[in-house]
Amino acid sequence: MIAPGPSPLPSFVEDLLREQQDLSAVERFAQDHAAVTATSRVYRSLMPATAPGPGQQYGFEVDLDRCSGCKACVTACHNMNGLDEDETWRDVGLLVGGSFSLPVMQHVTTACHHCIEPGCMSACPTLAYEKDPVTGIVKHLDDQCFGCQYCILACPYEVPKFHAKKGIVRKCDMCSSRLKAGEAPACVQACPHEAIRISLVSVDEIRTLTVASSLLVTAPDSTHTLPTTRYVTARGLPRDVRSGDESQVHPEHNHPPLVIMLVLSQVSVGLMLAGLLAAMQLLQSAAFMLTALAWTSGLIASLAATAHLGRPWLAYRAFLGWRTSWLSREIMIFGAYQGLAGAAFTLVWWPAEWMSQLTLGVMAATVVVGVIGVYCSVKIYAVTPRPFWTFRFTAVRFFGTSILAAALASGMIGVGGPWAFVIASMMAFGKLVAESRQRHAITENRWAERSVDLLYGPLRDAWFLRCSTLMFAGVVGPAVIATLPEIPTAFVVVTVVGCLVSEFIERGLFFRAAAAPRMPGGLAA
Amino acid sequence: MSDVTPTSLSTLWETARDWLHQRDGHLTRELLLEPSRFGLGQLPNRLQPDAVAKSVCGFCSTGCNLQIHLKDGVAIGLSPSADYPVNLGMACPKGWEALAVLDSPDRATTPLLRLPSGEMRPVDWTTAVQTFVERVRRVQAEHGPESFAFLGTGQMPTEELAFLGTLAKFGLGMVHGDANTRQCMATAAVAYKQAFGFDAPPFTYADFEQSDVLIFIGANPCIAHPILWERVMLNKNKPEIIVIDPRRTETAMQATTHLAIQPKGDLSLLYGVAGVLIERGWINPEFITDHTSGFQGFADFTRDYPLDRVAQDTGLAPQQIIDLAVSIYRGKAVSMWWTMGVNQSYQGVRTAQAIINLCLMTGNIGRPGTGPNSITGQCNAMGSRLFGNTSSLLGGRDFTVPEYREEVATILGCDVDRIPQTAGWAYPEILEGVRSGKIKGLWIVATNPAHSWIDQADFLELREKLDFLVVQDMYATTETAVVADLLLPAAGWGEKDGTFINSERRIGVIRKVSRAPGQALADFAIFRLIAEAAGCGDLFREWTSPEAVFRILQRLSQGRPCDITGIAGYEQLDRHGGVQWPHPGGRDVPVVERRLFADGRFFTPDERARFLFDPVRPLPEALDDAFPLILMTGRGSVAQWHTETRTAQSAVLRKLSPQGLSIEMHPLDATRENITPQSQVVVTSRRGQVTATAFLTETVGRGRVFLPMHDSTVNQLTNAVFDPHSRQPSYKDCAVSVKPIDRAPASISRPVVASVSEKVLT
Repeated sequence: MIAPGPSPLPSFVEDLLREQQDLSAVERFAQDHAAVTATSRVYRSLMPATAPGPGQQYGFEVDLDRCSGCKACVTACHNMNGLDEDETWRDVGLLVGGSFSLPVMQHVTTACHHCIEPGCMSACPTLAYEKDPVTGIVKHLDDQCFGCQYCILACPYEVPKFHAKKGIVRKCDMCSSRLKAGEAPACVQACPHEAIRISLVSVDEIRTLTVASSLLVTAPDSTHTLPTTRYVTARGLPRDVRSGDESQVHPEHNHPPLVIMLVLSQVSVGLMLAGLLAAMQLLQSAAFMLTALAWTSGLIASLAATAHLGRPWLAYRAFLGWRTSWLSREIMIFGAYQGLAGAAFTLVWWPAEWMSQLTLGVMAATVVVGVIGVYCSVKIYAVTPRPFWTFRFTAVRFFGTSILAAALASGMIGVGGPWAFVIASMMAFGKLVAESRQRHAITENRWAERSVDLLYGPLRDAWFLRCSTLMFAGVVGPAVIATLPEIPTAFVVVTVVGCLVSEFIERGLFFRAAAAPRMPGGLAA
Repeated sequence: MSDVTPTSLSTLWETARDWLHQRDGHLTRELLLEPSRFGLGQLPNRLQPDAVAKSVCGFCSTGCNLQIHLKDGVAIGLSPSADYPVNLGMACPKGWEALAVLDSPDRATTPLLRLPSGEMRPVDWTTAVQTFVERVRRVQAEHGPESFAFLGTGQMPTEELAFLGTLAKFGLGMVHGDANTRQCMATAAVAYKQAFGFDAPPFTYADFEQSDVLIFIGANPCIAHPILWERVMLNKNKPEIIVIDPRRTETAMQATTHLAIQPKGDLSLLYGVAGVLIERGWINPEFITDHTSGFQGFADFTRDYPLDRVAQDTGLAPQQIIDLAVSIYRGKAVSMWWTMGVNQSYQGVRTAQAIINLCLMTGNIGRPGTGPNSITGQCNAMGSRLFGNTSSLLGGRDFTVPEYREEVATILGCDVDRIPQTAGWAYPEILEGVRSGKIKGLWIVATNPAHSWIDQADFLELREKLDFLVVQDMYATTETAVVADLLLPAAGWGEKDGTFINSERRIGVIRKVSRAPGQALADFAIFRLIAEAAGCGDLFREWTSPEAVFRILQRLSQGRPCDITGIAGYEQLDRHGGVQWPHPGGRDVPVVERRLFADGRFFTPDERARFLFDPVRPLPEALDDAFPLILMTGRGSVAQWHTETRTAQSAVLRKLSPQGLSIEMHPLDATRENITPQSQVVVTSRRGQVTATAFLTETVGRGRVFLPMHDSTVNQLTNAVFDPHSRQPSYKDCAVSVKPIDRAPASISRPVVASVSEKVLT
């Protein structure tokens, strides 16, 4: 308390600035509170009286009739759990629709559904997810995670959130530590309208009763992972309700390291196959060059994949999840492939007559392992519930890249004569047809439609570029080379580079147009 | 290797296991929850407080109490106070994020003065306040004492509002001053004052729980006041909830009945319902006779509002109007709640009074669960109404009454001649004064009219006519701050002490728990500095701290309806969970919840409440082929506050807010214009044109569109029309057209002033 008196203005300013920085006054009013807060009395009724018995687990139960969209749950979770910046483990989306005479606007609070068959857990290559055998809570082991983010793709609800600064994923654990101590989770405590509670759910019941729309109308297919959240409403929701962000088309994340990894690993397998064919025809220097190229592009592919990790120095943990994770399998298989490719390249470089059988054997084994690796790559994406990433179309994309590479490489070294270029041209044409046909084949649901909207909307320039480059460099180019007797080398080089560029564009679109099924969103992006 | 022991072997094993599968580590421990003290439950280790203090939230008028978690005397987190009678342990996202918005690169950290070159340059406080005083004096000398005006706020503690009003008017000789409360609750204040004799919202929040019929008119508490909706949800009477709103809002969704009336159909509806009640004798004659005046005139007047007319005005079926009357008649405790849908209207005062009339004639006032209840907007709009010294003299007095001026002069120990004899101009008149050249200087404190004022381009044009514009704000980046000549950096909520008065008249304390950045000073300290620099420091010798001023305010309240002389001080307010006014001296410990008018005695000279009414007026801007839709504006989402100067500083609140500007439009109206979902559209009014994304939803109703007020472009469209009594802007009824972006009509003729808005901080 400063009394200005005769002191001149500047010193009064100093006094006021000093007083402004002094926080000691608040200490006088800081107080100790009773151990049990009034809120605990309120939320006691929002928790089950007993721990889950056999065949049961905890689940969130949301009373939609009480959820008015205040989003206190989101901020309480953020603050009470000490999350960073804009990190949130709960979201509130919006459903709109209904009839003109009785329109509907329903907010929906959503977090981890602690699924019975968690997609995140089976996808994780490092065993960083655990499902508690008693409570059923799906918990993420932050220190075990190396930040591959595959769980984000594998979870139909986009629950795991990547924390770029820490290089790991984090997610809701239903405040398991609070639950253990008899406290309600942050969101349950903070909902002013008591719309969220923890209830006991029967695992068998969910297994038997789950159909695609069990969780919530407009939500991703519940049969994938068997989510345990229950949305209840006495008021009911009209069937034609749609999510607030239904018409918003935003391209998905572009994963450049994965684009590089996928294209180059598949090219590598193709080159290795061409190298094998060359070796079988005793084209030793061509075989050497191709295996060297295969090994190099395989190496770049694996470096790119490692660079994609949030914590690349923990890459060695990738094999742990091999029992369930296609990513784990892919990493192991391509690891083996790279080793074999190195051996093949060494053997070819060391041309002892007596070793040729062994060399061919190793090269063949490398190709086989590489094909299995590409198969794993296909499976990684095919098992995520995205209509754009069905097994069939993804296999055409990925194996097609290998075949195109093999055919072009063979043609260039003279293996197979013009037929190699014919095959390349046909393969490129096949890819073009498949990618265009996919648009018709996948219109069975709105997520697929969204992919089409993306390709013909925000991504149309890239999509046009993909089609035109593949048409000219992939289909026309090789056909010309196969037909005409004299072709300038420059034309061949342009064709090959054009195909490679086109494949990179295609792989970028593969990610950007893969609209993910998700929980309803609102006007927020 | 002889010293290999089982222990070191197991350590080795653990290291190897962790290397492969690590269940614990710094990342895990970062989020590990541990029991904390103070009944706060589990918290992460780094957020464990060593003390807690309580503070009322500084966003809306609900007045939730937040427990500030302190570590070494500084705030490190917060949680809603469980034992506070307002919020009962809950907070909305803005409350949860109240501390996060303080830490921002946009904060004003030093006074900034605009050079002749247009550049803003940092200056020290002495220079800043000396320049302030010198420029005020110069403008007043050149153009008269009335030519420098101030625009305040409802966001500062009462002590600071009183300081601002007193300093500006009694110290610096300003005559005209108003606050942004003009934009939110002037209508309610005037309606109460005319009807009850004093600006006295009669209710207490327990009324939400005690009604059996709740009627919400132009109010969406689910989004705008979520914690008040908490109280509605705690109502155990299975209440009938009726929502009167053109839009099917979140609150309408939760209601038992939603009456989706035509915009501005509310007044006709209320008169029509009154007519039905009177005609059927569903009124309370004893209460009317004993406690009101002017009923017969009103009864006669309502005959002009027969059902068929009201049905036409509102778009409702006659039966729906009768049903509403039946609900009011049958209800044992009927409460009616309104906010901006009523207040922000060209006939808002009469609409609020139509609500008051319904409560008076059915005796729904003074009893638990009843009342014509205005839910206020800003955290301290109520403090501003009583002690802002703008439209009423300190303590809710009238400037024009000589005895009141004498009283105030005596209490403050100042010369009575320093007190102006009129209230001075309201906000719109002040701006008109700028246009006509009568106002040449403005002092804008904690508000952002360059964003929020109706017909925004006009405001920016007016700014060019000012000789000197002072802006006092927490942030250097508000639309208004960037066009200032002098920017005074203020400390914000959480960085200063004081009291707020919430919607239910509850006075609560706010605390300094965080250090203000740089040289930012509490507005209180800035006012002290200016008083000293202006040579009127003697007038404020006693105004040394917020609590000292609180004691002055108590003296000013003595004998007034808002008498708070019985409050012992901040400590009691803190301990007691706030105290509702009135709490005159001599009373015992204040009760937790209290409402007004239990005895039916009002604050008018004859202690009777008045029936006040006027004929319904047509929409100020008729719809036509060029502008066929009514544009309503309002709260966009729960995570946004006003012009977002604060809420945009929280990463989480930003995430919870809509991205970009979306316009709500009915699918059928969209089809007529060939507008597809999520396409870009151009919204045109007679004053401006903005681009938005079409969000097609049936909830908005046919023939109208909705834009959130938080986007800085929206007020380029709105029409500067005001309520004749309250002078509150009518934000929700201008005529617009919405067209696809490639079929937009030519831009309107009046150019948007770009020269001002392009001035940026350097």
